[in-house]
Amino acid sequence: MIADFIRILRAADVRVSPAEAIDAVAVIEAIGLQDRSLLKHALSHSLAKTEAEKFAFDECFESYFVPPREQPPQAEQPSDTNDEAPADEQSEAAAEDDQAGDEENLDQQGLPAGGGEASAADGPPASLTQMIETNDQAALQAAMAEAASAAGVQEARLFTQQGMFSRRIIEAMGLDDLDASIRQARDGGDAERAEKLQQGRAQLFEDIHDFVERQIAMRTKNAGRLLREGALSRIRLSNLDRSDMNIMRNLIRKLAKRLASRHSRRRRKAQRGMLDVRQTLRRNLSFDGALFNLAWRRTKVERPKLIVLCDVSGSVAAVSRFFLMFLYSLDEVMPRTRSFVFSNRAGEISDMMREGDVEQVMEQALRAYGGGSTDYGQAMQDLAEAVLDKVDHRTTLMILGDARSNFGDPGHKVLKEFHERARRVIWLNPEPEATWNGGDSEMKRLGAYCTQVQVCHSIRHVERVLDDLLRQSV
Amino acid sequence: MNEIGKSARDAIDAIQSGYEQLGYVSDEQIATALFLAQTLEKPLLVEGPPGVGKTELAKATASFLGLDMIRLQCYEGLDEAKALYEWQYGKQLLYTQVLKEKLGDLMQGANTLDESMGRLNDFEDVFFSEQFLQSRPLLQALRADEGVVLLIDEIDKSDDEFEAFLLEILSDYQISIPELGTIKAKKPPLVFLTSNNTREIGDALKRRCLHLYIAFPDAPRENAILQARVPELDNKLRTHIVDFVQAVRQMDLKKPPAVSETIDWARAIVLLNMQVLDADFVRNTLNVLLKFKSDIDNVETEVTRLLRETESAAAR
Repeated sequence: MIADFIRILRAADVRVSPAEAIDAVAVIEAIGLQDRSLLKHALSHSLAKTEAEKFAFDECFESYFVPPREQPPQAEQPSDTNDEAPADEQSEAAAEDDQAGDEENLDQQGLPAGGGEASAADGPPASLTQMIETNDQAALQAAMAEAASAAGVQEARLFTQQGMFSRRIIEAMGLDDLDASIRQARDGGDAERAEKLQQGRAQLFEDIHDFVERQIAMRTKNAGRLLREGALSRIRLSNLDRSDMNIMRNLIRKLAKRLASRHSRRRRKAQRGMLDVRQTLRRNLSFDGALFNLAWRRTKVERPKLIVLCDVSGSVAAVSRFFLMFLYSLDEVMPRTRSFVFSNRAGEISDMMREGDVEQVMEQALRAYGGGSTDYGQAMQDLAEAVLDKVDHRTTLMILGDARSNFGDPGHKVLKEFHERARRVIWLNPEPEATWNGGDSEMKRLGAYCTQVQVCHSIRHVERVLDDLLRQSV
Repeated sequence: MNEIGKSARDAIDAIQSGYEQLGYVSDEQIATALFLAQTLEKPLLVEGPPGVGKTELAKATASFLGLDMIRLQCYEGLDEAKALYEWQYGKQLLYTQVLKEKLGDLMQGANTLDESMGRLNDFEDVFFSEQFLQSRPLLQALRADEGVVLLIDEIDKSDDEFEAFLLEILSDYQISIPELGTIKAKKPPLVFLTSNNTREIGDALKRRCLHLYIAFPDAPRENAILQARVPELDNKLRTHIVDFVQAVRQMDLKKPPAVSETIDWARAIVLLNMQVLDADFVRNTLNVLLKFKSDIDNVETEVTRLLRETESAAAR
């Protein structure tokens, strides 16, 4: 059962290592299964290790360890025939918690071992009628769980499979036997019993249906998202649906984190160098050549000084938005980024980006600088006025735009100046390469003053570009 | 199974009431975490926003269990010389100086270089013995006879390297000192690690720990905490304070007020002998509760509204 629960947790994006799974078992040994809330807290401590994971864990726990359905009133009938029922279940004092515990207890024995221990689940086909008659919910649940694992519900992934699995489970639980009993009762003139069994049968069908539905929902919750993420990272950003924004944002955060951690580690490693023999000897001449003061060769790692100019007009806006989002998720490794957006005039948004929510900032920026027809000449001029004197041999200038200047001045003269001063000029073009230089595109003229020109229209591209940038900046 | 469940429940209840006597208001989650940490002998990683009582939890645990607490404050650049052990170089040098003559005596009669080296070798271990070992918090914790509560505070402030270095201690409660060999804990200390989440803790470390997340308390619990910490307050005023702080926390702030700030504020109120919260007073003392100028400005304009809303709620 624990293994199965952990599989579900993993499907819900909670990372559980084998060692933690072992811990979970140890936890259960220490805490027992009686107390539902205790079990929940305890497992949560050992399995979910971030705030987000705790949240996901709570959800999974609630849907996996379902509290028992309120016992219908007729359950009050003394069920002496059922000697497996724990004594305290009948006592009024037994709190609901206790019942939950019992159920889980049975659940556990039912699933993996298949009735290895003496539980109510022994010999299900013979007792299904009995179980319904005595309304022994715990035993029914256990039998259901066992039948479910036999039917392979764990493998179910599609909602269309629901009917099939329900059927399989109920057959495994002994539907034929039950039907026979009903027929027998009816033929024997015991209409009341037949009616009751029939009711129980209907209830059972419903329960099993719910059970399978829950199982499938739990297991597929995430598969869909993962698939979607994979597709999204390759999709053209300009074609993105509004509904996918959220997934996209998370995806970006995830990729950015990966990138940041990769490069921050590399930077730290590079800080310590090897022994610099020449320097050491020179430095120690004053000590009569005794090597007293050692000098280490230091690898100096530079953080890239980055200036970004993004077109926020029309078609390029979507790409710019995500590019900037990505960039500022990398603030940790690239803290000195200055960014400008333009359509006809360029304006700086660095501080806004750092403080506010990216979405909001983009809206503001679009309102302030977007809208007009693209004017590369003017934008370059603005940019040059703002930062040209700050550009040095460590600066990388990145321009994101389609290079369509509406037949105006493409600003290549200014770009040339930048090119001469900056370490690198990288142009990212969201259009596919085939359409460059067609119509009013000035990619050729502008490209002449770029160190590198790249297509960039999906998150994959953005990631690769930034990765390269961080790599080369060493 | 049943007995285990019962005894675990009892133990957890006992922990909870034990804390309560010490003025630390816990909940079932916290008590469960401590119970597991004790039973499984696993370190406990406590996360949560600043000022919710993470460090306090470790202190309360130490006095609850009647153990000493050893605290290791993490910071950037913390290394094993400061956390684990260091050789007392000064003492070693001093002893060498003082014992120079003695050494000279010993060397006498050794004719060849090899021979003197051999003799020196025999004594080398003297200088790298426990006598010259300065133990730092981690080593102290391992060498304590009775078992201690070891608090590794703000682990997120330390470097990745230090985190990796902790792994051996946390999983096996032992460390290797090259000159002395492996030192194993006589009695595994109860380890608390706290983190404010300024950076993500590595998976390897997380894997070895139980994880407890303490969030801001809800109103009843905060009320109970205030009652335990500032008993001078009367009921109505306390409820009002708690409601007000909870309302402030709902606002969009850079740093929402933590429990410790609520306590400070309540103390200030007691000190200034205020009987009711009025707008002017609240405005004047907001700086106790909030630590950013922009936050104070934000809340200042809302004080009257918040007070009105919370007052009617408290009156009900």
